[in-house]
Amino acid sequence: MKAETHKVARLHAMLWGIFSLGGMIAAFLLPVLIYMTAIAYPFSLWPFSGSRDPSFLVTGHLLGALFIFVTIAGSLYHGIFRFQSALTEVGLLKYRRALEAVGYFIIFVGIIVLTYYLVTWYLNGTIT
Amino acid sequence: MEDNKRYPELRRRLSPGWWTANRHYTMYMVREWTSLFVALYSLIFIYGLSLWAMGSRADFLNFLKNPAIVGFSLIALVFTMYHAATWFYLLGAISPVKIGRSRTKPWQALVLNLILLVIVSYLAIWLLVLR
Amino acid sequence: MSQDIATIRVTRYRPEKDVKPYFQEYKVPYRQDMVVLDALNYIKAEIDGSLTYRWSCRMGVCGSCGANIDGEPKLTCASFLHDFKGRTITVEPIANFPVIKDLVVDMEDFMEKLVKIKPWIIREKETPPEQGEYKQSAKELERYSQFSSCINCMLCYAACPIYGLNEKFLGPAATALAYRYIEDSRDQGKEVRFPIVHEMEGAWECTLVGECSVVCPKGVDPMLAIQKTKILGATNAIKSLLMPRGGR
Repeated sequence: MKAETHKVARLHAMLWGIFSLGGMIAAFLLPVLIYMTAIAYPFSLWPFSGSRDPSFLVTGHLLGALFIFVTIAGSLYHGIFRFQSALTEVGLLKYRRALEAVGYFIIFVGIIVLTYYLVTWYLNGTIT
Repeated sequence: MEDNKRYPELRRRLSPGWWTANRHYTMYMVREWTSLFVALYSLIFIYGLSLWAMGSRADFLNFLKNPAIVGFSLIALVFTMYHAATWFYLLGAISPVKIGRSRTKPWQALVLNLILLVIVSYLAIWLLVLR
Repeated sequence: MSQDIATIRVTRYRPEKDVKPYFQEYKVPYRQDMVVLDALNYIKAEIDGSLTYRWSCRMGVCGSCGANIDGEPKLTCASFLHDFKGRTITVEPIANFPVIKDLVVDMEDFMEKLVKIKPWIIREKETPPEQGEYKQSAKELERYSQFSSCINCMLCYAACPIYGLNEKFLGPAATALAYRYIEDSRDQGKEVRFPIVHEMEGAWECTLVGECSVVCPKGVDPMLAIQKTKILGATNAIKSLLMPRGGR
């Protein structure tokens, strides 16, 4: 019997752990974000019925910036990871390496860009 | 293992449309493809933020009010809720809790976590807006 | 008095003769207490002795008689004719395995995986029999007993589309069995088993389709075992990151 070597996919284990965390974030935090920005604000419903302004999306609102970062970064990671896996299941298994590379690239760039925009918004700019 | 087959075998592999074969498989595929909307929404939101970072907050707010964006966001919300519900059900399936002699069922985890979602959502709004 | 008849459509395939598999129909007398295996045995005994299929215990413990019955992986000895709609029942070999003849599939890939995960107690140091048995509490037994019910029937592999798409996937039964030993308090073989279940083609390929647990005739719930294995893998990876030389 030929000797077999097995290597723990440690990196993948951690990436999967982050994916699971992203799934929790997408499940618990994404709905309220979409509600606030696509229903409450545009249609002037609670909690923005009086002010008609999404008050947590302002310069200097640390919690707002953190909330957006965690929710969007987590959801982006989870969504891309899972979608790339779903694509391999509809006939694209042989392109798996390429799909993974593209997926992680989008995640990487997306989170960097997200951070940059959030910091820009949080730190400077006047409310117009 | 050396190939000592004296007979040709019939090899059958799944076609890309395997998931249409039965309802469980189809529901699984729908569940997985909710991830597309979660990812797309995130990317579109990041684009919206760029309008603020590069332009003005008003640009971002107009973006949020744009009917196409609102429409897409509502669709994304439906798929996000489907993701949340199936995620909660899976949590229940993989972490059964033993109470006395019986075990918790996945639908119980679904109900519990949906309630938790409402609480967390309210907490988020309270912390971010109302406080 | 006319007798109740059931029609069994069976896949026939003889590699030396047939280019493609085809269906052959047989009429068998229908009784309320018949299972599909009874029908197959009737066909072989009374109508067509060349029909080839596996079976043994006929009571759902040996795992030999798996087949695809009306599109679902089932044990032929555990599937009553009256469970199915109508009087025509289609019987095919289980999916995702190469077919040797008629309903008989090549199990080699599964057997390799079964051996690969070393389904036996591994001890760092064996204690001699004079010192007595390894003791285990009821609570310790409960951690793994569900996963020890596997009868190696391979229905879970037939149901798993991930295995169907990628033969390298370790698969439900093998992973569940590995987990059964990982969780067994008498076993000290984590070092040996973790690299097997935590390599890329191990538990990580699973995307929670869940069909394996739906079709399992013994309630093993391999999906649960695979998930727990993944969680073990992820926590181990984080631990090794935070405590590179640290504990287990």
